Amino acid sequence: MIRHQLYTVAALILSVVATIAVADTRLSSGQITNSLAGVSDNSRLDLTAAQMRQAVLDNIRNYPGAIPPRPLSFPQLANLAQFTVEINFDFNSAAIRPESYRDVGAIADALHNPILLGYGFLVIGHTDSVGGRSYNVGLSQRRAEAIVAALVDPFAVNPGVLQPVGLGEEQLQDPAHPTSGVNRRVQLINVGKKFCFGLSGEQFQCQ
Amino acid sequence: MNRFAIKFASSIFALFFLLCAIGPSIAQTLSYADAIEQLAGACGADLRKYCKGVELGGGRLKACLDANQARVSAPCQQARILVYTSIARRAAAQRDIGDICSADIARLCGTSHADAHLIECLLSVSPAAISPACNQVFTDTGWRTERAQQ
Repeated sequence: MIRHQLYTVAALILSVVATIAVADTRLSSGQITNSLAGVSDNSRLDLTAAQMRQAVLDNIRNYPGAIPPRPLSFPQLANLAQFTVEINFDFNSAAIRPESYRDVGAIADALHNPILLGYGFLVIGHTDSVGGRSYNVGLSQRRAEAIVAALVDPFAVNPGVLQPVGLGEEQLQDPAHPTSGVNRRVQLINVGKKFCFGLSGEQFQCQ
Repeated sequence: MNRFAIKFASSIFALFFLLCAIGPSIAQTLSYADAIEQLAGACGADLRKYCKGVELGGGRLKACLDANQARVSAPCQQARILVYTSIARRAAAQRDIGDICSADIARLCGTSHADAHLIECLLSVSPAAISPACNQVFTDTGWRTERAQQ
């Protein structure tokens, strides 16, 4: 009888420990807010979404191959506050899978924080190397747009501060494992205070 | 007599469950992360059955759940109402707090507009010093507790 009770207590403790462990690995909006805050200068980013899309096409044309022989880089973005999260989509689709809903909600919680008020963000979609490079550019663009669409409705983020860009597989997170899930990610980059995006990606002063 | 007692007891039960269901939405709103996670959890099987491949954004998932509300499970139906009500209420609070609290912020913190320091301002004073409307909208934004957790 006592032994049975001990087992029960042990099981209870274990389940509590397990719950804490699960809670700790979950993405918190505070983490995202802190990563996206803290841009020191308010200068206008010298890179438009259109230029980024052109650089992607140039990289595919100039450096052909099944997997990009030379990863695309944007030095202008390297020092900006940013946050990367793995989001799961249906295969070959821009539909976010329900297991990733929470993370999209956490991004929305972060973007609504007054600390980030008035900042503009690039929402960059990346794929793994499965599928053709040009196809993946389109897929990642649609996925970045799907993230933006979800942030706007249901989560009421101002669409003017979000600019979706798809980079396909041109910037693999883990080039040694090009089909790994870590490559399928969404990257948010704070491009500076008081800059919003127009319909064709041009920046202007937010209201 | 017995039937009356059963009827009375079941009314109490119904009232209790109703209060449990609407209680949290009166007291506070859910974070967007918690809200949509609750929906994904309560509606998992229903989403696979009725809304497979439907996008979360652009109002599409909500439209799918609304269109299938007669078919989805009871927990999903309950979560659908609670979650989207909570999201709408938090979004409205985050949108309107600058207007609703402008007089409070001017009086308490000496600035005339809501900016990045809005949370610090409202947290720096006792809730008793803030007007009831501003207190309520501040609670609904979720920023009171979000800040405390950081």
